[in-house]
Amino acid sequence: MKIVVLGAGQVGATIVEALHSDHDVTVVDLDGARLQALSYRYDVSTVRGNGATRRVLQDAAIKRADLMIACTSRDEINLVAATLVKKLSEAQTIVRTSNPEYLEAWQERQIDVDFMVSSELETAHAVSRTIGVPAAKQTDVFADGQVQIVEFDVPRAGGSDNLTGVPLTEAAERAASRPLTGAYDEVVGLPLREAKVPADSKVASIIRADRMLVPRGEQSILPGDRIIVIGSPDAARAWSGIMARGERRVDDVVIFGAGATGLAIARVLLDQRIRVRLIEPLEERAREVAEELPAARVYCASGIDPDFIERERLGQARAAVFAMREDSKNLYAAMLAKVHGIGFTIGIVHEPVSVEVFERAGIDVAVNPRSVTAEEIVRFAHDPRIRQLAMLEGDRFEVLDITVRDSSKLVRTPFKELPMTGSLIGAIVRNGTAIFPHGDDRLEPGDRAIIFTESSRVAEVEKAL
Amino acid sequence: MIAAAERLRRNVGVEVGAALNLVGALVKYLSLAFLFPAALAVGYSEPVWPFLAAGAITAGAGYGLERAARGKERVGIREGFLVVALTWLFAAAAGALPYLLGDEPQLQSPINAYFESMSGFTTTGASVLPDVEGLSHSVAMWRQFTQWLGGMGIIVLALAVLPRLRVGGRQLMESELPGPELEPLAASIRDTARRLWTVYVALTGLEILALALLGWMGADDSMSLFEAVAHAFSTMPTGGFSTEARSIEAFGAATQWTIVVFMALAGSNFVLMYRALLRRNLRAYARDEEFRLYLGLLFLGAMAVLVELLHVGLYSGKEAVRNAVFQTTSIMTTTGFASVDFNEWTTVAPLSVMVLVALMFVGGSAASTGGSIKVVRHVLIGKILRRELDQTLHPDVVQPVRLNRIPVDERTVRAVIAFVLLYVGIFVGGAVLLVVEATRTGVDVTPFEAIAASATTLGNVGPALGFAGPIGSFEPFSDLSKVIMICLMWIGRLEILPVIVLFTRAYWRA
Repeated sequence: MKIVVLGAGQVGATIVEALHSDHDVTVVDLDGARLQALSYRYDVSTVRGNGATRRVLQDAAIKRADLMIACTSRDEINLVAATLVKKLSEAQTIVRTSNPEYLEAWQERQIDVDFMVSSELETAHAVSRTIGVPAAKQTDVFADGQVQIVEFDVPRAGGSDNLTGVPLTEAAERAASRPLTGAYDEVVGLPLREAKVPADSKVASIIRADRMLVPRGEQSILPGDRIIVIGSPDAARAWSGIMARGERRVDDVVIFGAGATGLAIARVLLDQRIRVRLIEPLEERAREVAEELPAARVYCASGIDPDFIERERLGQARAAVFAMREDSKNLYAAMLAKVHGIGFTIGIVHEPVSVEVFERAGIDVAVNPRSVTAEEIVRFAHDPRIRQLAMLEGDRFEVLDITVRDSSKLVRTPFKELPMTGSLIGAIVRNGTAIFPHGDDRLEPGDRAIIFTESSRVAEVEKAL
Repeated sequence: MIAAAERLRRNVGVEVGAALNLVGALVKYLSLAFLFPAALAVGYSEPVWPFLAAGAITAGAGYGLERAARGKERVGIREGFLVVALTWLFAAAAGALPYLLGDEPQLQSPINAYFESMSGFTTTGASVLPDVEGLSHSVAMWRQFTQWLGGMGIIVLALAVLPRLRVGGRQLMESELPGPELEPLAASIRDTARRLWTVYVALTGLEILALALLGWMGADDSMSLFEAVAHAFSTMPTGGFSTEARSIEAFGAATQWTIVVFMALAGSNFVLMYRALLRRNLRAYARDEEFRLYLGLLFLGAMAVLVELLHVGLYSGKEAVRNAVFQTTSIMTTTGFASVDFNEWTTVAPLSVMVLVALMFVGGSAASTGGSIKVVRHVLIGKILRRELDQTLHPDVVQPVRLNRIPVDERTVRAVIAFVLLYVGIFVGGAVLLVVEATRTGVDVTPFEAIAASATTLGNVGPALGFAGPIGSFEPFSDLSKVIMICLMWIGRLEILPVIVLFTRAYWRA
């Protein structure tokens, strides 16, 4: 496939990184230095110039392109480029936007673009997924939310059995009333076939000291591992219960910074009936946001004022999101919030290097809007049969969502007889409902299979199905 | 001399000429209103000439003013206040002419005639007539008609029909139409004015029909077509003048209940009503915060009065319910009709009288014909106070005041607070002046009666207590007291600011 990418910034670079090996990629940007850096790292051709002009698009051979991804940081450039491409070629168009208005207009088919991605909304969803499923590092949703992929860091500290000290009959009762919630000690440290893994879920991968293990029955999850789980939303919640050691679900979130990202996060959280408090230092913006979100409580204050944090008892909040404009400020405010007792902190980072800095510093989750956006765009850019694709752990693993063809050799083979190829079918979607397969289930033609696989095997898996 | 006038003109920041010119034009067209009582006079074989003469004088004065005062065609925001304030003063003067010219023995004094006319146009309904039934048909109907003209607003009417006011009318309309903010019904202010008047005319027609039907079907023998028209002209603008000495007490229960319904409609928001009718669903009413408080207060007021009336055993069950509901609705919507002389309750049921006086400060809804503070301002004041309480605990919280979920501009919030403060201040000032003046002239007015008189005229309600009660008359007040009350009615009808601003130095400065 021939792909033209407009914009060689963080989003563009991430997209190029994901697509360059399988596709013929041309990158367009105004900045020659960025283009040069990209062309040294990857086998891509580059065109320097304004992508919203016909001449530059023609230089990038848009006529022969199959897909155009407009991911510059400027909405209007992206939209104009997409409009031109619609006239100049047959290519499909993907547009990145930061304006929810445009996204809404596109969803109502009033903007003629094949796919539109809003960084703010994607970030908000990423945050809400993390908050809805505590301790989850990164989660993805497939088949309209019926299948989730969740990544956990298994806590290191010695397991506190949350059933100790409770009379046995009561403990049994409680366990019976919550069949999906397993205890930490019943999962971690035991061989997988003995561990009480929540129903409708599978451990897709265990990452231990930068090595990925394909989980087999005799292996066990150890403290300090990072595990990737695929399963139903209930199961994902049960897993997060296990990993969070029975901590209460987050129902009260403080968001520092009410910019476009903060606002989008607030809106998504309010939709989930989570209590939201927003802190914004600029008075005018605070007022704007307060008018827009009647359900949220908006404060006009600096997020790094200890008196304010104390006065408003922000320390009692279950979680805090730091969505201010500067990474350094976010990091500082997050540390301060930790000092005041906020248990769960999520940082929105703008520089790629900040992800590691934040995590080293003890911020629980760092979300990079640009990589979230790139991920979303790459999902669409892949094989049209693949509806979604998550990139976990950089790009070492991918999750594929493939519709099984009639001609596939694997159709009607029982699962336990499928060849082991370092990939795992986490779930299948048949007639709109998700099934979490057991050894005796078979693949049927037309099933959508959610497959967890190493990046190097993507082509192999696609061919097999 | 000319140089001095020129210097004065340059130092004054208001285009007085343009304003007077427009006032003249408006007054000129007002003369057409005299055709209605004139026609009635012909029908009843009563003297026609007072109305024709009044019409001629009004038209002449208006035309003269228009010719004498020249200025820019378009009036600005500043001139708007002057136009509105002066138009109402002149309209009341024109309305008094038939009383003076018609040799009506009860209205020979110019102050009395002006009081009666101002009371009519401002839809107050406070009367200086000792004997209402002594008026001729045409004069009595003119008195009712002035209320109907003033109800939805003379200027709103002019906006609807006069081509000259096509531009710049918004400011004028905002000054005249009750409520803190004008909510337009249509893209142009002219269409908004037309739609408001359409609703108003339609409701008046409906009430005439309903009342006349009661008379024809024999449900109420004292209700003739004349009475039906006269009382519809008084109910819809929330006026309160009646052609009967005993007000609505003269009619049967069915008529009284019908009038209760129309008073409640007249005191509700016409913009809301138009929207609900257009979309054929009543959900807008259920969602409207002002309407909910409006009904709530009507209900609470009626319950409070009812409980006391039943407790003291003044009326039997059905009659107590009717009187309680009628009186609270009449006073709260600032109509001022009486189904009973509640002045007699002062000694036996004092709490009910207190409730009624308190309701004088509630008033109708925004964009209704009701007067006083208006329910929507009470809604907003409540929310502002709640926000203040919240902010003492959380000083950094940013919380817009919302009305029906829509954020209210901070300027409007300040304007509402300022309005209520001014309203209370002017009411207190009026009451004090009335007490002092009554003491000076030896008229028998208790402080509570002075309070009621000040509240009733500033709120454009109508009846006060004591001799000025619902069945009584304001005649015994001294001339100076009447002038004070004329001013209160004028200020109250125009919602204070357009009048008060004229008395500030900044207004006249360049």
